[in-house]
Amino acid sequence: MVYLGSVICLPEGRPPRPLEFPKPASEMHRHSVQKPRVLVVDDERILADTTAAILRRAGFETMAAYDGFSALDNAASFNPDYLLTDIMMPVMNGIELAITLTKMYPALRILLFSGQAGIANILEKSSRMGFEFPLLAKPVHPMKLVESLKALREN
Amino acid sequence: MTQSKTGTRPDRPDLSIEGIRNFLAAIIASSDDAIISKDLNGIITSWNDGARRIFGYVAEEMVGQPILRLIPIELHHEEDFILSKIRSGERIDHFETTRMKKSGEKFPISVTISPIKDESGTIIGASKIARDISERRRLDDSRYRLAAIVDSADDAIISKNLDGIITSWNNGARRLFGYEPEEIVGQSILTLIPNNLRHEEEEILRRLRVGDNIEHYETTRLSKQGEIREVSITVSPIRNAKGEVIGASKIARDVSNQKKVERLAIEAEKIATTGRMAAAIAHEINNPLASVLNLVFLARQPDLSNQEIRDFLETAESELERVSHIARQTLGYYRDTGKPSEVHLKDLMENVLSVYRSKLLAHDITVESRFTDLRKIRVRTGEVVQIFSNVVCNAIDAMPHGGTLSIRTTRIVRTEGDAIQVVISDTGSGIAREHLDKVFEPFFTTKGNLGTGIGLWVAKQLVERHGGQISISSSTDRGNSGTIVTMTFPFRGAEDEGVGSGRER
Repeated sequence: MVYLGSVICLPEGRPPRPLEFPKPASEMHRHSVQKPRVLVVDDERILADTTAAILRRAGFETMAAYDGFSALDNAASFNPDYLLTDIMMPVMNGIELAITLTKMYPALRILLFSGQAGIANILEKSSRMGFEFPLLAKPVHPMKLVESLKALREN
Repeated sequence: MTQSKTGTRPDRPDLSIEGIRNFLAAIIASSDDAIISKDLNGIITSWNDGARRIFGYVAEEMVGQPILRLIPIELHHEEDFILSKIRSGERIDHFETTRMKKSGEKFPISVTISPIKDESGTIIGASKIARDISERRRLDDSRYRLAAIVDSADDAIISKNLDGIITSWNNGARRLFGYEPEEIVGQSILTLIPNNLRHEEEEILRRLRVGDNIEHYETTRLSKQGEIREVSITVSPIRNAKGEVIGASKIARDVSNQKKVERLAIEAEKIATTGRMAAAIAHEINNPLASVLNLVFLARQPDLSNQEIRDFLETAESELERVSHIARQTLGYYRDTGKPSEVHLKDLMENVLSVYRSKLLAHDITVESRFTDLRKIRVRTGEVVQIFSNVVCNAIDAMPHGGTLSIRTTRIVRTEGDAIQVVISDTGSGIAREHLDKVFEPFFTTKGNLGTGIGLWVAKQLVERHGGQISISSSTDRGNSGTIVTMTFPFRGAEDEGVGSGRER
């Protein structure tokens, strides 16, 4: 969102500094073991980056994307087993992304991740189209997130 | 000419028997009433012009005929009674009965019958003065009919004179206000008007005197028990036969129930707005909270350097600042007590914009705002946040594929007192011309199942409660479509709400 004029005070506080998240040592040998791959999509960059870092520590291979289109672009090369995506995002929402990727990769497992109660309409629309995706409510403890992804793998 | 014959002076009445007889004959001939004389056997002895007009017979037809010819057969017994009264020297005053015209038509009549005596005082006959009262009967009938209608009406129907004194009081008025007619007729209409609304009566009387009608004016009145009655009143001037205004009729309808329903609808919408805003706020708060959870979790991992830990914690700190900022901005209005307070309207607008920040972002909507209202204004903040929220939500809904939301607040100078004007415009799909008139009506929506149809209606009620106005203009022209909502909030608006007006809960 672009605020023209000088008067609106954005509620973000100060802009987030770009973070370098440390990669665990095991990352160096990731090609030796076939790790499950998670594509993490959230327009909140800090949230996408920290979630990816946590999942890497939990033994997943991860890629973070900050909007639906770059997620689509990267999916082809990254070849994910899981999609973990926010719902309310500009341009392309998480459901649209999930539906598109499901059609491209039928084996892809999907977990939605949302902080808003007011997404009932979007969910209803997708279920009318025949798509039901599990949903986690933000905020969620990192351990719970990892468990949910693992449970998805076992199902 | 008469004076030269008789030799009397012009300023002196002719008191000769001949003169008096002529004088009386002239009166009888010119009377509108029928004046008939008869002897003691009931035979007609004289018949004036009035009798001809009323009964249809000329004198030649009737003189010498029995009076019974004028009386319907079933009433012939009346004549025996009349004659017996006359013989005993009694007079019959304003006896209402039925008589028959030459055409056979029966009609109502009022008769006064007096005995005629000769010089010695012997009764020799009767004079009969008869008046056709069919017109009066008709008027009476319609008056009784109107009275019955007035009395059976559910509405209070009251008449008063130009001094504001109550002159009639129907059953509906008794039910609505609790006074019996005996208690209130003759009292001032001000008895019914709350003290703080007494100026209304002067205005009503002023408009009545110039002959204006006042229609469906919504106000409040007091019952005998001192309870507030919410009424819609219509006042019309009452004119006399010359067309002069001599008073007013006032119809008051109890709209308390209707008002109660309206207030419930407003309350329901407030809850719905709160729900919508809470969902939006939840999103704004849950995202940074989720980041903080992740950052703290990462910071306590065992294999990190101090620098890495510090970086995580600093980022967590700034995310927490963001949460506090949003909470301060968006949750503040929940503390609204319903009492007016001094605020900058731009602050309230910014609160609303921060609540819907994500939604605006998700819809790719650019916000352009220019706030030049530097003066604080006294408003009920919760209500104004609701008004802005409703209008901004409509703008967002109108721009599902992006656009520009433009917001201006300016101070405007007017003769009736300065105000702040708020203009919210979007570049959305616009509202069709045929819908534009209805957008402020309750339960009108163009959003199908997604709309409740009361957002703008509630906005209008709330703006008006602040003494302001709201208007809307829109275009659906392709490439140039959009909607502009203009609101004014007078600087002295919220304070003016009368204590006794019954609009406060």
